[in-house]
Amino acid sequence: MNPNLIPAVDPAGLPAPLWLFHVLLVFTFFLHLVFMNLTLGGTVLALVAHLKSGGRRDDFRGVLARRLMAINNYGISLTITTGVAPLLFIQAIYQQYFYTATILLAPLWLAMLALLIAGYYAAYLYKFRGAPSRGSGGGVWLSVAAVMFFLIAMIHVAVHLVHAQPEKWGNLADGAWSVFADPTYWPRLLHFILAGLGFAALVTAWWAVRRAAEGVDSEDNTAIARWAWRWALWTTVLQVVDGFLLLMVLPQPVLRGIMTGGVVTLAPLTLAILLGIGLLMMLARVTNPVEKPGLIAGTLGAMILTIAIMSITRHQVRALYLEPSTAQFSFEIVPQWGNFALFVVLLVAGLATVGYMLRRVLTSPASGADAA
Amino acid sequence: MDYPIWDLALGGGMLMALVAIPHVIVSHFAIGGGLLIVVTETLAVKRDDPELRELARRSSLVLILVSTVFGAISGVGIWVVAGLISPATISALIHTYVWGWAIEWVFFILEIVAALVYYTTWDKISKGAHLLVGWLYFIGAYLSLVIINGIITFMLTPGRWLETQAFWDGFFNPTYWPSLFLRTGIAILMATTFMVFPALKASAERRAGILRYLGWWMVGGVVLSYAGFRWWEAVLPATVRNLFSGAEPALTTLASTRSFTLWALTVALVFGLLILIAAPRLARAATAVVMALAAFAFFGGYERLREGTRKPFLIHSHMFSNGLLVSDIETINDEGVLARSGWAARGATDSLSMGRQVFRVQCSSCHTLDGYQSIRRALPTYDDMLAVVSDQSAGSGAFASECAACHADVSAADMREMLPTAAEMAEDPEMILDLNQGMIYMAVSQLYELGEAYGAAPRGEMINTGELHSSYMPPFVGTDEELEALVEYLAVLARGDDVEQASIGGGR
Repeated sequence: MNPNLIPAVDPAGLPAPLWLFHVLLVFTFFLHLVFMNLTLGGTVLALVAHLKSGGRRDDFRGVLARRLMAINNYGISLTITTGVAPLLFIQAIYQQYFYTATILLAPLWLAMLALLIAGYYAAYLYKFRGAPSRGSGGGVWLSVAAVMFFLIAMIHVAVHLVHAQPEKWGNLADGAWSVFADPTYWPRLLHFILAGLGFAALVTAWWAVRRAAEGVDSEDNTAIARWAWRWALWTTVLQVVDGFLLLMVLPQPVLRGIMTGGVVTLAPLTLAILLGIGLLMMLARVTNPVEKPGLIAGTLGAMILTIAIMSITRHQVRALYLEPSTAQFSFEIVPQWGNFALFVVLLVAGLATVGYMLRRVLTSPASGADAA
Repeated sequence: MDYPIWDLALGGGMLMALVAIPHVIVSHFAIGGGLLIVVTETLAVKRDDPELRELARRSSLVLILVSTVFGAISGVGIWVVAGLISPATISALIHTYVWGWAIEWVFFILEIVAALVYYTTWDKISKGAHLLVGWLYFIGAYLSLVIINGIITFMLTPGRWLETQAFWDGFFNPTYWPSLFLRTGIAILMATTFMVFPALKASAERRAGILRYLGWWMVGGVVLSYAGFRWWEAVLPATVRNLFSGAEPALTTLASTRSFTLWALTVALVFGLLILIAAPRLARAATAVVMALAAFAFFGGYERLREGTRKPFLIHSHMFSNGLLVSDIETINDEGVLARSGWAARGATDSLSMGRQVFRVQCSSCHTLDGYQSIRRALPTYDDMLAVVSDQSAGSGAFASECAACHADVSAADMREMLPTAAEMAEDPEMILDLNQGMIYMAVSQLYELGEAYGAAPRGEMINTGELHSSYMPPFVGTDEELEALVEYLAVLARGDDVEQASIGGGR
């Protein structure tokens, strides 16, 4: 490693202990992942369903595609909104690595903005010009949205791998495309794609089961739940295989770091693996999800828990990648506890306000002349 | 200074402008639109006025499609671009205001969720609940302005922060309140200009009334904007204000920008009074576009003025626009730029490439080679020299454009006396190139001395850049060897025979 290529830490220091920023980064990234999975996996799944339906409104897969994209009109916004916080915190504690990586991949990183705008508006065009409003068609808009979100995932994985490996920066500066030849690149990307597909499929199945239980379009919802459940099952099968593959291709020092890190690293990893296998067992036990609504909700809960724990492991893997470098630097800590407390209070108040607003909306249906 | 440099032919400043200008317009619309739409809906409910309600509904579609999508992404885009073109500076802002940004994120969540719910629930929930959502949207959006305004104004007038480095000293800085006032006016102005378009779709009998309603909002926005602008000017430190106002402004281009800004606001007001209030029948999409452009021009002019008066700093009196800290000048002069940045040192294999790397580190955040703020056009060339000695006119346009900036105390005739004749130049072009290199050396040396002046300025207070030579330029910092290498590189650039060497090679 050429230490001279690693910029100095910011002289302004940090307004709280480092551990607090690690916690905030992992927590907010987890929130981002939940919505990102819906956006990426949901759009790809919607595209598959749309293609399978032949673009027909009356096919249950067409209903599924419309439903997923209706969720995504919110999901994409919330993916961006929840992405702001981890983007802030990574700049606070990993700015030397993060900025350098984005500069080395500058055209791609900048292109992400255009891809995101294109993907987002394509999703809206599907809503306004495709199947949801016209009953058929819209495959082109769905395809554009899915491709855009897939490319964004590729860029994020590339930036992550570059920022985590400063020892490779010298070579990357002469040819940044070599990041795509990193042995972990494709397994890591696949890990995110499969997680997105699996999560979106489970959410879809869960929603369809709820609707079926309410007696709404029972036939369609039963078919949707079965179809989505199979997607959740097979993507999770592949995910477990890919997860082990990713573990095996990690650089030796990183792998060693995980295995010798004691309970701190082994507990989350073991728990995540056990949850993954547990998920498989739960998924494999059911053929008709509508018959077992309790198990479906439990499976979805288990998957969210898995995502949370894998967020911790992912962060630990990054820390191990960067350990040789981060050990050379230390931040000056100048705590601003009052400002942190203000942030926490406002966060709680803000989320409570959002909760109150949503509850009020859900309990205030339109009635006659009072309809808004 | 120690990050890799992204060579961008377009120029970092231009890229930032392309992302930031649409963002500020849209984000202010998102705030003002929130207010106008929910007030409009409230009035519509109170008066049982379906047409007014329809205006709010149609506008909310624009709000959701433009604000929550483009506004949100371009807002992230400002971080993305800043990280690419000026990582040290965005890092300084992030580290100084982590909790400020985090608090803004909370309001952003409220704003986005409320916007999505507001648009989706028309006709699906009770009027009272819908109005609640609309007001919560506006509160979230406005509070995000309350936060970001502190960070933006801090950059121009950090105030007591320079002395105390305390979060709130920088946040509630001297221009905080005038700027909040001004931006509130701008937000209303932006929203009005956008909402005229959906208002044009109102029924024939109601259109005039609805346009007049928007017209009064517009007048209110203009009044707030004008008052806020003048208040902002009044509280600026005299050293900053004198750059663009007074009998003899130090920077005439900024004085012109100020004049342009106020004229644009006047045009917007005149159009607003005419097509919205006095004669709404004249309102067409085309006239509304002109009014919107005038309002944008005012807003853009103000932002240009704000950015321009901050030059050469990113955080006034603390950090220059190329990421150099005022407090680092002396150290870097001793140790050198290349000792500070492994990335710059990596590409410096000989004197010329060292000069190129010094240019990239210190100059390329503002100057491109041949595009925006072209460095090559700023350098003296053989053709410039020839033009000066060949131009015998009394006014001597060539002298004014090529020499006067550096040689204010020399007349055109005296300059021609000092220079070789056109025939001598043709006979010995190398002599002219050497002469040019000497002039470049003098200019860079002056920038080095500028650094010494900055270094000697009292700490903890605003530096009076108006008293300094080249007050809009960051200083040159580095060792003598680096200075000479930069001069050599610039001289080669001025010859124009090394495009490849100048623009490619050395990696990042």
